[in-house]
Amino acid sequence: MPSSNNSSSGSLAFVVFVSAFVALVLTMVQLPGWLFYFWPDWIAIVVAYWALVAPKRVGPFVGFIIGTLLEVLFVRKFGVMGFGLATLAFIVNSTNQQLRALFIWQQMVSIGLFIGFFKLLTGWLAGMVAGFTITTEYWYSLLGTVVIWPFAFILLEELRRAVRIR
Amino acid sequence: MAHAFRKNSGWSQYAAVLVISVAMMLADSRTSWLDRPRNVLSVMLSPIQWLASVPSTIGRYFTSTLTAEPDLQIAYDNLRNEYFKLKSESLLLRTLEKENQDLRALLTASDRLKEKITLAELMDVNLDRDNHRVSVGRGIRDGVYVGQAVIDDQGVIGQVTEVMPLSSIIVLITDPGHALPVQIERNGLRTVVHGTGSVSLLKVLFLNQNSDILRGDVLTSSGMGGRFPNGYPVAVVTGVKVIEDEAFIRVTAEPIAKLDRSNHVLLLSRHVQTQGEKRVEQLILGDD
Repeated sequence: MPSSNNSSSGSLAFVVFVSAFVALVLTMVQLPGWLFYFWPDWIAIVVAYWALVAPKRVGPFVGFIIGTLLEVLFVRKFGVMGFGLATLAFIVNSTNQQLRALFIWQQMVSIGLFIGFFKLLTGWLAGMVAGFTITTEYWYSLLGTVVIWPFAFILLEELRRAVRIR
Repeated sequence: MAHAFRKNSGWSQYAAVLVISVAMMLADSRTSWLDRPRNVLSVMLSPIQWLASVPSTIGRYFTSTLTAEPDLQIAYDNLRNEYFKLKSESLLLRTLEKENQDLRALLTASDRLKEKITLAELMDVNLDRDNHRVSVGRGIRDGVYVGQAVIDDQGVIGQVTEVMPLSSIIVLITDPGHALPVQIERNGLRTVVHGTGSVSLLKVLFLNQNSDILRGDVLTSSGMGGRFPNGYPVAVVTGVKVIEDEAFIRVTAEPIAKLDRSNHVLLLSRHVQTQGEKRVEQLILGDD
């Protein structure tokens, strides 16, 4: 069952980081005003997806690494994103069997809850270390995230199939 | 058995990662130990940064190459005209400044602080929803210091928050964590504008129902708090909404500075001695 030979795990790491990179570019895109607040949290989506489909290999540690890279690229305080994404990956990891059995709309709601918790956690931690304040607008992106989840899921599923990772 | 092992390893991995993150948070917020690793990593990740900026660079390249030559000629002419206009105005300004200084001397008021201006070029722009930062190519070597006010040719852009040897990081006035003391130009009412995370939107919070603020009012920096010198334009009020049952009115404003378009910014430094300060120093030193 665990088919973690060397080439497969190598290409998994590659695909995870490529999708994280695409998510990063999407995060940095300049947007028209009305879309701005609803723009999904792409990085969280990507981490949640990989933690869901490859729970044995993508866990808190990978979340932490992606979060730390993000903090370097966006010049933020270290540790916050790593903590948040590790927690998200851990929650999705430990509930992945239940999540996979759900209908798509139930999955949307659960992922929304998990990413909402991730946002609460990171917002709160950023408030402690960097003086960030959680505004009402901060939560709007959650709606975008939930709405985009099925589409992102299908796209990433295609990507995974294309590089033959199980 | 295997299941339990996986679960265990998940827990221990998670615990280890949490400990590391908390240690990093503490270290990064209380000390500067992680600055060096951050700089090394950011140099290593600069190809990624470059790759990430490719889509927008390509867009900009196409817009600029598709600009026809006549437009450039027109732009050049406009700039020339503006240059001569400003030149003549600055001549007038010099006499006015002299006059103003004399009048202030007559009133025995203190001199208006004069700022030294350093021109800096933008190196990198990071505008995501929760963080509005730009970095410029001036650093410790050029005498940049934390808290320095930054403007462009139109108005206030932000302030310096981090200084490195050759570059520094500026937080924009639209950053959600940024607040700036301002004054309404029309009547001198003092208030504070807060960033929202959108480049074209600022909020003015905590104004009473009876505050005299109108759409189109210009907000200028008030000089309160000592970070920003007074009198620089900051924003134009775009909307005033009064809701009966709320204690405060909802005021939105738009920044005047070209936050997402300017390539050059000006750093204002207040460490230049004014004549008054020089005089005081002379008196203290006793060589008057």
